[in-house]
Formats: sequence, C-alpha cells, structure tokens
Amino acid sequence: MTRHLAQRIAQALLVLLAAFTVAFVLLQALPGDAVLIKFLGSEMGLTADQIAELRVAYGADAPIWEQYLHTLGNFLRGDFGYSIRSGVPVSQLLTENLPSTLRLSLLALAAACAVAVLLALLSQVEGFGWVRAVARSMPSFFVAVPVFWLGIMLIQVFSFQLGLVSVIAPEPWEELILPVFTLAVPISAPLAQVLIRNIDAVFGEPFVAVARAKGARHQWVLWRHVVRNAMPPTLTMAGVLFGELLGGAVVTETVFGLGGLGGMTQQAVANQDVAVLQAIVVLSATAFVTISLAVDLVMPLLDPRLSRAVSAV
Amino acid sequence: MSTTRRSLLAAPALLPALALSREASAQAAPVRGGTLIYLEQQTYTNLYPPAGGFYPNSGVLNQITDKLTYQNPRTLDIEPWIAESWTVNATATEYVFKLRPGVTFSDGTPVDAAAVAKNYDVFGLGDRTLRHPVSEVITNYERSEVVDPLTVRFLFKAPSPGFLQGTSVIGGGLVSLRTLALPFDQLGDATKIIGSGPFTVARQVLGRELVLNARPDYAWGPKNHPHQGRALLDSIRIIVTGEDSVRIGGLLAGQAHVIRQIQAYDEERVKSRGFQIFAPSTRGVNNSIAFRPDNPLVADIRVRRALLHATNAAEVVSTLFSANYPQATSVIASTAQGYVNLSGMLAFDPALSARLLDEAGWTLGASGVRAKDGQELVLTAYESPPQPRNKDTLQLVSQQWARVGVKLNVLAGDLGSRTVDSLDPAKTPVAPAMVGRADPDVIRSNYYPTTRNVLLQKGGVSQRVQNFRDDDLNALLEAIASETDPAKRLSLTGDVQRYILDKAYVIPLFEEPQVFAAAPRVRGFGFEAVGRPSFYGTWLAAR
Repeated sequence: MTRHLAQRIAQALLVLLAAFTVAFVLLQALPGDAVLIKFLGSEMGLTADQIAELRVAYGADAPIWEQYLHTLGNFLRGDFGYSIRSGVPVSQLLTENLPSTLRLSLLALAAACAVAVLLALLSQVEGFGWVRAVARSMPSFFVAVPVFWLGIMLIQVFSFQLGLVSVIAPEPWEELILPVFTLAVPISAPLAQVLIRNIDAVFGEPFVAVARAKGARHQWVLWRHVVRNAMPPTLTMAGVLFGELLGGAVVTETVFGLGGLGGMTQQAVANQDVAVLQAIVVLSATAFVTISLAVDLVMPLLDPRLSRAVSAV
Repeated sequence: MSTTRRSLLAAPALLPALALSREASAQAAPVRGGTLIYLEQQTYTNLYPPAGGFYPNSGVLNQITDKLTYQNPRTLDIEPWIAESWTVNATATEYVFKLRPGVTFSDGTPVDAAAVAKNYDVFGLGDRTLRHPVSEVITNYERSEVVDPLTVRFLFKAPSPGFLQGTSVIGGGLVSLRTLALPFDQLGDATKIIGSGPFTVARQVLGRELVLNARPDYAWGPKNHPHQGRALLDSIRIIVTGEDSVRIGGLLAGQAHVIRQIQAYDEERVKSRGFQIFAPSTRGVNNSIAFRPDNPLVADIRVRRALLHATNAAEVVSTLFSANYPQATSVIASTAQGYVNLSGMLAFDPALSARLLDEAGWTLGASGVRAKDGQELVLTAYESPPQPRNKDTLQLVSQQWARVGVKLNVLAGDLGSRTVDSLDPAKTPVAPAMVGRADPDVIRSNYYPTTRNVLLQKGGVSQRVQNFRDDDLNALLEAIASETDPAKRLSLTGDVQRYILDKAYVIPLFEEPQVFAAAPRVRGFGFEAVGRPSFYGTWLAAR
C-alpha cells in the first residue's frame, strides 16, 4: 500500500512538471507578451525608448530557456511572480480569490450531490410511474439550462423583483444562496445520470436477485446493496466535476460579481497575464491530481475488492 | 407573488412623490454621513497615478489623492489646490509652486516641497530600478529643487507649456514617499496607495470590492470647490459588477446608488424611472477611425478622403448612441481647448466619395468591391473593447463603406494579436482611436510619432513602418508642445485640426462621454475636467 502511494505521488509530481512545461511553452507561443500589452496597448502613452527600457527591466527579451529555468526555480521556491496587469503578486491574487472559489465550489458540489441522490431515489420509487419518469428526465433538462441565463433570471426575480436576497452588497450568509443554486443545477445533472444508470445496472445483477429471493424488501435492497455498489463511479464523476468547478465557475462568478479563480482566469486570459496563467495552470493541475489521488484512496473503503486487488500487487 | 403585485401597483403612485421629494431636498442643506454604493464595470488595475487614465483606476485615484492644481471643470481654468500660488517663467522652462501649509498624507507625513519634488521626479523621469514609467503628460522634465519647506521649483530642458495643466490631472495625484518607494508591480494593491485626498482606502477584496472611508481631518479641498472641509459621505463601497443588466437592475432596485458605464440603449429606461443620468465629456480627441498611411491601400489621400465622405457619423450616432454622444465636428471635442468647428470638412457625400475613388483608379468590379491592378480595396480593423459599442460602430461604418465599394473587415482577436497587429500598418490600415485630456497637448500626444502615434509614423515603437512620416504635421505638433503664448497655442491647435482633416488622416465620429447613472437621492455628484467621478461633495438625501 505504501509503495503504491509513493508511486502515485511520484506520478503526480511528473504530471505537475509536465503541466508547468506545456503551459510555459504554449504561453510563450502566443503573439505579443504581457509587458508589451501592458505598456503599449494601454492608457499610459509611453515612448518607444521607455517601453524598451521596461522590457529590459522585466527580462522580457531574455532567451526562452533562461526564462523557463528562472520561472521554474521561482515556482519551486513558492514565488509565482507578479501580475503585470493588476500590479500585485500572483500569490496575493490567489490567496484573495481561492477561498471564495473553494467555498462556492464545495457548497455547490454538496448541493448538487443532494439533488442527484434525491433524483436517483425518486427514479426508483415504487408505484407513481410519472414521478419516476419526471425524475429521469430532469438531468437532461438541467444540463440544457444555460448557466448565464439561470443566474440572471434568479437575480432579476429573487433579488430585484421580490427583494428576498441582496446581490450587490450582500451579507456573507446571503451572497452564496443564488450562486450555489445556479451552479448546482448543471453540476447535479451528470451526477444524477450516472447514479441512476448505475442503480439500474446493479438492480440487474444476480446478487440482487439472490437478496430478493431471500425475501428482502425493495427499500432494503436499494439501500443495503444497490446504492452502495452504484456509488464508486459517481464518486469518480464528482471528483472530476469538483476539479472543473474550481476554474469553471467563471460565468457564475462574473454574473454575481463574486470574484474568485474563474473571474481571475478570465481576466488573465483576456490580458495575456502570463504569470497568473502559469500559476493557475499549476494550481488546477495540483487540484486535479490531488482529487484523483483522494478518490483512489477512498474507493477501497466503498468497495473492499479494490483494496484486495491493490495489496495483491 | 403578492410582493410583486404590490410593488407593481405602488410604482406609478410613487413616482410623483419621488419627484416632489427630489425638488424639496434639492434646496435642503447637505446631509453628512452614510455609505454610497458605487458599481464599477471593471476592477482597477495598477494605481500608480500616471496609470490613472484607465477609467476604473481614475475612479479610485480621484477620491484618494490630491493634485497640485485644480482644473475647474466648468471653465477649464487652473486654480489653486495643494499649490496656493505659482509662477512660470517666460519660456515655460521653470515653474515655482508655493504649497498650502498643514497638508498631510494619510500616513501622517507632510505634503511638503520635498514630497512634491520626489513625486514629480518619479512622474517626470521614471524610476528604472522600481520600474515606474514616465507620465504621459509631463514633457521635457529635467529636475526639481526644494527652495524651502513649502516652495518647490521644477526645471525643464525645453519649454513645457502643458505642465501647469499636467499638474491638475489624475496622473499627477500626489502620493506618500512610502508609496513611491514600492516597486511598480505592487501598486495594484490599493491599500498601499497613500494619498492626501478626502478619502482613504479602508479595505479591499482584489477584483471584487474596495471600501473608502472619509478622512475626518481633511481640510484642503480645491480653493474654489463649492464644498469645503471633510467629505460628506462616511464611506464609499466600490463594487465590481461586470454584468450590465445586474448593474442597472441593482441601481433600479435600490441596492446601489451610482453606476458607471451604462449603454446608450439603457438610458431611457433609467431616466423614465426618475433616476439621473450624467454624461460628462472627456474633452479630448474624439472617438475616431484613424488611417495608417504607411499601408499602400490608404497612402493615397484621395482614398482617405473618399472614405471620410463615405462615413455617415450622424447615422452612427442616431443608430447606436444617444444625445449624450454629440456628432463630431472636428478632430477634438467641442468642449476641448482650442476646438475649431470644421464640420464643413466632414460632410457625408457618397457621390463625391465614389468620384474620388474612380479618380484614384479604384474601379467597381462585378463583385461589388473596388479593385485596382487586380487588388481589391479590402481594409482591416480590430475593435477596441474599452470604447463604447466599438464593434457595432465599426460594423456600421463597414456597411457605409460597402455602399461605395470598399470592404472593411472588423476583427475581434485576442489582446496579444491585437497589440502586435496594431503596430503593423500592413495588417491594420485603419484603427479606432480616442483619448481624453483637457489641454491642447492631447492632440500632440495622440499623433506624435514617439508618443501614442495613432497614424503609425516611422520613428515610433513600431518596427514595421516602412517609410510614412509627415514632418509638416510633426512640426505643428512640436510647436503646440513648446508654444508658451496661450493664444498662439490655441490657434496652433486649430491649425493641426485643419491639417489632419485636410489630409484625411482620421474620420471623427462622435464626442465620447463617460456615462453614469445615479439614484434620485444622490446629490452633489461631481466630475473633474475629463469626466472622472468625484465624490468629495456628494451626499445622500433622505429617502
């Protein structure tokens, strides 16, 4: 088990280095660079000589391999450099934006899981055929709702028309209500879909028939055998979705003016703020690697067969 | 549901009452206290004062910094502020300012001759080690001298008549020596910008919100400002709300007091609800389309003139904008200094346009696009997102040009490609342009090769320019920068406008305002000379 863990961590580090390198090369290949954009395309009206001087000061004209080693070294020391666009250290941007994104993503994921489980259970209700049909069609409907439209509609109705929650200068407890709902809708759809399909599949397994033959009631079979066996793929899915949420909440964050990694990424892309993008890529890669590692480690707890398979190796 | 119905029913009944209370309290004495919520479209970036031209930056800097002088937004005269008086020598190479005593930065350090001298040394010369760039509005700066604790002298290598006005702009905001000791890359952190202004930075959440608090001991507002003493508001919350509909909805729902940037098509909706619209002029170079004559397609003056007369600026304004965006009548705004009405040179005349293109040898082919020697007259421009509805504007102009057989491709493009391509006249024969500043110097800095270089002359930042250079134009621009007689300076500004339009280097479209909306209870909302908001005398009337 320890050896397996060490292997997985080494793999993870390799993935991170690869992500760093690929991101660096791709960002260098873009036309123009952050220094040029900041000082030329801007409101500052600098002369040619002044811009040339600033380029030297920023080391923007050094050979690429030199810039690569320099940046890599800084990253290893935890120094992500400065955002040329916003004039603050990248680490400060991250520490101010990460918590709000984490909070939003975690709550949205929790809400999405709750909705998904509810839909999955409703899809198995005995009798009430129409409830099952509705529950089964909800995921496709949720996935089809544009997040942008949903966010704006929620704001217009619940904040501007009904005045139930404030979106402009909300209290800390109220600022997440509408955004969490907005994000949970599209995220719950794939979770519910996977869960429903797996429950259906597990119900077809021979051991369920055996349990039923022994006289177990539907509810007991569902909870004791089926849901537990249908969980692992859903967990993997949730892990991937959470990773996507971290950077993928751009629209929600922008519509609600929440700030966060999404908005920060969007600004950095729009302004080709290379230092910020490089840090975001490495951070996202770290998040994905950590989450998939965590999911792998949790899996054997749900399905003992996996842990035996691992120790056999 | 019942709440909706009630508010719907109540709305018409409320309107007259609102109007009434507005009139009643307009005469009432200003109220002190309260928090104003101001919605910004974008977050501020670097708050180094010379980078204050960017609207969100100036919205912050104008509240937290003071300037040596105050440009009266009504008369455009330069009036005392931190400087009580000043003298300028005949050649405009030496300026002496007497400072107001007792002024302090919010960190407690004095705003004295030494601090002012250091500020201008950095703005005028830049700082290589800390990477502070030079301010655009200061030319020919040599050095400063501290004459006594309240007297500072500035010396210039060559005449610098625009300097006095330059001391009044946002880019001349005075900051504490502690702020100037920080590298440029840290000045995007508003909490590090220490000024002597009526507000100080209390709290920031980067990219999301900035809270400013009034300074209780502030007693050095501009001498002739209608309000004196500390600011009336207790604090201002500047909240970034990028989405247009949320900004307007928040204002109308009473969740915010003032919003920046409202689109022309939303103005009516806001006004009809009894809210106020403010559209101060930016008083600079008009929103225009500039040619890069280095590109052979537009090197021929007949082609440029043809396109100028093919452009229907009136249609642009009436289709896309509102009465707050006056149609351009010259290169610079009618509210700008030295403006001359040249609308006669800007007539929309498609017949003349077609004739000029025929004369230039561009003949209409079967495809509907004019061609000469097998080459089609196809031009390209990148849209400029900071300008209002710029993409729509370019697309409408493209339709207008299509009627005389010229094709204009409008590209969006990423910022990197846009920046690199706009340095290359071969790739961008035309480009949108505008800049605001209430001094004739603005026209020089817009067209001179080593500054903004809108026409892309040889000798600027771009390495891609083959040979275009107009030395007659540059001589005129240099004369504006060095002419010390104000009357002559203004008449030179008129000459430049005539010259630029005669050569058809640009097609002016409209005078660009900054548009704000405010709740009915917001009073005393002011603007500095080029349309940047000032909350110094602002107060909130009782509901």
